[in-house]
Amino acid sequence: MATNTPQSSIPTTRREFLRSSATKGIGLLAFSQFAPSFLVNSTLAQAPKAEKDRSILVLIQLAGGNDGLNTLVPFQNDDYYRLRPNIGIAKDKVLRLSDTEGFNPVCGGMHNLFKDGKLAVIQNVGYPNPNRSHFRSTEIWETASDSDRVGATGWIGRYLDNACSGTPEGDHDPVAIHANTLNGAPESFIGENPHATFGLGGYGPNRKDAEETRRLLETLSGSPSGDHSSESFLKHTLMDSLVTETKVQKVINGYRTQANYPTTPFGNSLKNVASLIAANLPTRVYFVTLNGFDTHYNQIATQSRLLTELSNGLAAFQKDLEAHKLDNQVLTMTFSEFGRRASENESKGTDHGTASPLFVMGSKVKAGLHGTAPLLNIPKNQDITFSTDFRSVYATVLEKWLENPSEAVLGGKFSTLGFV
Amino acid sequence: MALTLAPETAWSRLPDSQWNQDAARHLLRRAGWTALPGDVERATKEGLSATLDRLFPDTVPVFNQPRQTAHMVTEAEELQEKVQAANEEDKRLLYREFQQKSRNAIVDMTIHWMRYAARPDSAVFAKWILFLSDIYVVGYEKVQRAPMIYKHFDIISRYAFAPAPLLTKAISRSPAMIQYLDLNQSQKKAPNENFARELFELFTLGEGNYTEKDIKEAARALTGYRLRKGSELYYQPNQHDTGLKTIFGETGNFNGDDVIRLTYKQRAAGAFVPHEMVKFYLSDTMIDKSYLYSLGDQWRAQGYSLQWLAKTFFGSTLFFDPSFRGEFIKSPIQYYLGLVQDLNLDIIPVPRLVINPLRQMGQVLFDPPNVRGWVGGRNWINSSSLAARRSLAESLFAPFYEAGLNEDEKLDVAAARAQGRGIFTVENSRFQSILSLSPEEITQKLTTGLLAQSTSPALKESITNYIASAENVPGERLRRVKRSMVSLISSPQYQLT
Repeated sequence: MATNTPQSSIPTTRREFLRSSATKGIGLLAFSQFAPSFLVNSTLAQAPKAEKDRSILVLIQLAGGNDGLNTLVPFQNDDYYRLRPNIGIAKDKVLRLSDTEGFNPVCGGMHNLFKDGKLAVIQNVGYPNPNRSHFRSTEIWETASDSDRVGATGWIGRYLDNACSGTPEGDHDPVAIHANTLNGAPESFIGENPHATFGLGGYGPNRKDAEETRRLLETLSGSPSGDHSSESFLKHTLMDSLVTETKVQKVINGYRTQANYPTTPFGNSLKNVASLIAANLPTRVYFVTLNGFDTHYNQIATQSRLLTELSNGLAAFQKDLEAHKLDNQVLTMTFSEFGRRASENESKGTDHGTASPLFVMGSKVKAGLHGTAPLLNIPKNQDITFSTDFRSVYATVLEKWLENPSEAVLGGKFSTLGFV
Repeated sequence: MALTLAPETAWSRLPDSQWNQDAARHLLRRAGWTALPGDVERATKEGLSATLDRLFPDTVPVFNQPRQTAHMVTEAEELQEKVQAANEEDKRLLYREFQQKSRNAIVDMTIHWMRYAARPDSAVFAKWILFLSDIYVVGYEKVQRAPMIYKHFDIISRYAFAPAPLLTKAISRSPAMIQYLDLNQSQKKAPNENFARELFELFTLGEGNYTEKDIKEAARALTGYRLRKGSELYYQPNQHDTGLKTIFGETGNFNGDDVIRLTYKQRAAGAFVPHEMVKFYLSDTMIDKSYLYSLGDQWRAQGYSLQWLAKTFFGSTLFFDPSFRGEFIKSPIQYYLGLVQDLNLDIIPVPRLVINPLRQMGQVLFDPPNVRGWVGGRNWINSSSLAARRSLAESLFAPFYEAGLNEDEKLDVAAARAQGRGIFTVENSRFQSILSLSPEEITQKLTTGLLAQSTSPALKESITNYIASAENVPGERLRRVKRSMVSLISSPQYQLT
């Protein structure tokens, strides 16, 4: 892009905002009596920040509790068919990954990724003393705490506390972005210190509504009053996030994808994440939710739809990143608050359970099956026992991908695995 | 902040001549969560004194113990029995299961409390309890027992308008507090100073009004407190230090109650709660000490009646000073409950949809960050917490996403609907009656009573123009009216109270 391309009148970066403030007389000059320290700092430090390590993590939350046994099917295991006489997936239908394990037939995209060496499957991931409440178990996964301890901060937040303490306050680009989540920023993002995070899409307003609200808010927070009042303070803080929003929206609107994403909110969110990665934002972590896995009855139909969406979404995302030559920078990982009961229930569904497999995708992953499959020689209604602690997965991502010591973040030492 | 009042008269009752709609709005917003037009009208008509009597009454609206929490008391008893017969492994399992149930109970209690606090007839009292609990802080994270947290709040409610020394004495017997500040760990041989220190620093006097020696001696007097069955207080005489102690210059064989009695003999005790009230209810910038001591001395002379203090504070000339109006940042709980009241909604009985927004905004009920409580004021606001406020505002205007509910959540939602408490988001029909008005009139309707400061002409003009420029297609005006409302409640102005 030519450096002297005329800019739109709306500033889309803090720097641009400051520059336009200087020339057009809005902003900093107008409220020089009350220039918060972050503004002052960033005007003093306008030299571009050194290019940091660009490894990016994309988390995909399968909310509701994904049934692992019908995602990764142990098709040689008689116990599986004993426990699931109605909803078990027939041996000849599965997409084989090994002599014993195969994907649900709708997971064609993931199957191809696996064969191409871009998908690692970590089997039977969970934690000791499992909790079967959606709310609580999600909390455990997001805070990475022991199940009998309630943590106040999320594991990503603590990673950001660790990794980004040197980031100047004035740099307001978000370090973590979430998309399509059910209720705002995930608990994972909460750190000891506040971090600039940003939310996209989800069940919020559509683009037109969002844009108009933003414009109205810009008007309402415009013309800072130049004093020390709480109102000025609020206006400045809000203006900051509106600048980020405008920038993000511009990136998303201008993006040309190289892949066919599912035409669903989830697929769209993945596409938006790809666009933001392609725009070179300093964002290190993205968090996207696919919701609806709480399949207590008629599981087959619901889970098929969701896994199709997941599988096609992942495949499109990877293809898009490859087309933009960004695939070496990105690692994508799924998680779900729990797996489901090994035995099916009376409604052709499954109830809340414990461990399940999770999936890690990227050009740098060591593809294949990792960990061990769950033992199914259990009575009806008993839960499977996890064999890989989810914090070992986190430790691996932290140490080997984000290159950050994991012990401080996870509050303990967890062994790393071989998938990166 | 330029307060020009004389400290001696600052706390005298606001003259009747200055009691008007604006003043009523200020009172209702600060004492409660918001000021609904009907309530403003009523208060203006009744007068300040009658309104204060109504807001701080002799008989208070009680927060009843939610069933799930009450049931945990029985569970705790059963646990004691079961544990006795169990082996180590089973014991651990039993404790864990108990802990999980207790956790569910506190989540359930949060929903019930929010519902209670949102009710117009209990809002002011609920906020007063929240204020006192922000002085006498306990946190679920350490206490781990929902019934103990309930009991702590119940103790505060019972003594909420009593003389402060009685409240403090009751607090020193609150099992949650005893556990939270390790009073039950305090031994005759090695007194634990945690409770004694916070009693002076954070509950009654404030820093600089006691010596380290006072703390050490007070800790000796505060020995012998024990908890039985995990939650029942009893006194263990052989763990109590019966020697002579010297506290605040007086010497005697003091016990815990004596410590509290001696504490309230200090002049600083009078100024302490007023100081906390200014911080919680009035302003980010602390007022001069002379004002605090002026009110404190009067309060002491009134036998430390909290009811007297509340009425005097909220009725005072100082409280209504123009420099305070519309200049205070709402806490997340006030933002949430203010929205619920302003938009006439019910609290959705889905814990994550209530607790997650509160957490993102920085304030989880029953779980303050530490014994200091919430810092408040501008600390509530940063780019993420402001985004969380906007996202909450937005969520109240989107049709509520039912398909995303888990099965157990669906049951709770159905139950709330069956009880006639099922309006969780703003429905389109709510705007029908104003759609045919002129854009100016619509703006007037939307903004009336919503913002703490008087709505500026520029702000009104932005909204009016936005509504007026709607294309003439079906639904477009409604859409713009809704967008206007979302923008208003997300605006910097609406964060203020």
